[in-house]
Amino acid sequence: MTDAGKSGLSSPPIVPRRKLRVLGTSITLIKPVRDRAQSDLGFDIEFEQMDFLSCQRWAAMEPDSYDIYEQCFHNLDIVWFWGALQPIDIGRIPEWDNISDLVKLGGVSKYAGRGRGDAPAKKLYVQPGGFLGPKPSRYISMLPTVHNMDSFGYDSRVFGEGPDVRPSWAWLLDRRAKGRIALVDEPAIGFFDAALAAEASGELEFGDIGNMTIDEINALMKLLEDRRTEGYFRSTWRDGDEAAALAEQGAVAVQSMWSPVYGKLRKARSHFVESAPSEGYRAWHGGGSLSRHLRGAELDMAYEYLNWWLSGYAGAVMARQGYYISNPQKTREWLAHEEWSYWYEGAAAARDLMGPDGVVAVRAGERRAGGTYLDRARRIVIWNTVMDEYNYAARAWDRFVRRVNEGAAA
Amino acid sequence: MIRSVNPLAQEPRYELIGRVLRQNILSGVLPEGFVLLEGPIAAVMQTSRVPVQSALRQLMEEGLVHRFDGRGYLVGRGGADVVPIRRDIRDYELEIPQVVDEALQTRGTWRHVYDKVEEEVASCQIFGEFRIVETELADHLGVSRTVVRDVLARLQERGLVRKSPSSHWIAGPLTARTVSEKFELRGIVEPAALRLAGPHIRYAEVEALLERSGTDPGITPQYLGDALLELCIAQAPNTALVEMIRSNRLLLSAVDRALILLGLPRDEDTIEQYQTLLDLITHHPIDSACEYLRYHLSITARRYLARMKIVAVIDETGSFAPYLSPQ
Repeated sequence: MTDAGKSGLSSPPIVPRRKLRVLGTSITLIKPVRDRAQSDLGFDIEFEQMDFLSCQRWAAMEPDSYDIYEQCFHNLDIVWFWGALQPIDIGRIPEWDNISDLVKLGGVSKYAGRGRGDAPAKKLYVQPGGFLGPKPSRYISMLPTVHNMDSFGYDSRVFGEGPDVRPSWAWLLDRRAKGRIALVDEPAIGFFDAALAAEASGELEFGDIGNMTIDEINALMKLLEDRRTEGYFRSTWRDGDEAAALAEQGAVAVQSMWSPVYGKLRKARSHFVESAPSEGYRAWHGGGSLSRHLRGAELDMAYEYLNWWLSGYAGAVMARQGYYISNPQKTREWLAHEEWSYWYEGAAAARDLMGPDGVVAVRAGERRAGGTYLDRARRIVIWNTVMDEYNYAARAWDRFVRRVNEGAAA
Repeated sequence: MIRSVNPLAQEPRYELIGRVLRQNILSGVLPEGFVLLEGPIAAVMQTSRVPVQSALRQLMEEGLVHRFDGRGYLVGRGGADVVPIRRDIRDYELEIPQVVDEALQTRGTWRHVYDKVEEEVASCQIFGEFRIVETELADHLGVSRTVVRDVLARLQERGLVRKSPSSHWIAGPLTARTVSEKFELRGIVEPAALRLAGPHIRYAEVEALLERSGTDPGITPQYLGDALLELCIAQAPNTALVEMIRSNRLLLSAVDRALILLGLPRDEDTIEQYQTLLDLITHHPIDSACEYLRYHLSITARRYLARMKIVAVIDETGSFAPYLSPQ
């Protein structure tokens, strides 16, 4: 623009405050994050929070309704291929070099297990032809931020406690928990909890658990259906509050779990514990993406927000609910020594630790299952995944879930 | 089979179309220099373009029409002084003998019903497995069960439906495995057919299409894919091979159309690949085009599998015809 053009554009008397619209889930759309980002960045931030499946669908089909999309790498198989997003230029991400190898290479070290399925590296870089793949390029699909290694939670009064107890995914199909088992209802997540249980219990074996064939999916669904008719499953759940309620009511002896839920337990706290499964973890990696409609000043705002996520504060909020960030060293500056030691280094809590909501989430003396960040990250066996046969598997899974919950209602 | 007292009912459709055009050319209703185009003729005759193509070729052999430097055929023997008359064929009062009309109508109805059902049965399969009840299909279409059985038999022949052990008609589900297998087959037979077609390709038309594809925003990847098949690959003199290619593509194309109706965005990258391919076909040895076609198909397969996953998040209510019952 010329100088003459600039001077011709005088500011209108009232400038509406700029606003950034973020679509996401309960993992990242939490109040302390928004409040801090608004004051740091100087523009309004509007959160639109949805459950996992609705969020993915909305992101794919309504890209004009949001600016930033926050979910997981495995969701990109849907959202990216719908054409709802635009690539992120890593040249505009100053923290890029400090993002960990877990996402760039697929493992925290050269020797760490890579895990099957949709490792984020496989969806990270934009490849020729608009595909996503692990070959580095200037453009990425999603800026990697929050992640975790998930497992299940169990009632130690049923399965025992102490160093001799070796928690196994097989417990999700265990006779001791008959009638008191729940799974997370998400076909790219709970489906794999069930698949890990089927393999760990020796009932089934999959060629590649991260990309199952139709026959393998059918076999898994038949096993689940058989166990359902025998009365094994109590319920399924879609968000952390539902999971917490099931544990608090004593309705479940074992179930899929998310880290923040443990901090919310009260009555069940003494006996409902996080497992470090002997087979390894099911992991997920989240991040933020740019809606395809963003241009100019709006795009600049979106980049500011993405970069803000890696500036330390958001990572500290995530840590307090049990999640990790992709550039931990920046976040360390924002955590108290005791917090860093507990969440990242696997040490016993030196004092009570607060969750993001200011309520005590960890009591002094407690120690996180699975140990340090690196120990946990080395033991990832599968990532949340949208398999080739996802369309088929998701429909079969939906039918199973419907029957579980109809049975529960009856 | 549909029985009829009409003596022409069993005559091939291209013969019937040929009869009508021949009669109207000889009687002068269609003047010398009139440009005959496949699309409008097919519309008037209520058929697909394929029999119209055959009819026009036959009329050319008879010397009643000829090719010229443009799309379609000119009425008459041709010559430098003939000025092409480009008008809609529907502007002329075509004489269509009643017996031919009836024969076309009988077939037209059947054909019309079939194409619609084929599209619906093929595209529903991305949503899972469906049962088709004969009586419901007959009610839906307003035709007899005999016609419905013929339609279903044809669908079965083309691999779109099957009979379950309990003798129910079942369609789908379309899985990633089916798609991979179909693309694998395409990668084997389509380059082979293209090589065989080499000497028979309609090069002038391919070149015209290539030119148009750069400027005409209405040209979709689907249109280019169909044109590549008709103008190039299907020109292979091995009819069994061409038939195999057509039926193998049936399900893939129907699902592709369904995905586009669901709102998937247009794919610019694929258009570029088709342009490269058409350019190789017209300007280079056919072997290079065959190799590129193989590459193009492997990319298309990946893209297709990726797009199929998307369907899992779509609410399926109202996405398929009422005679299809989800299983």
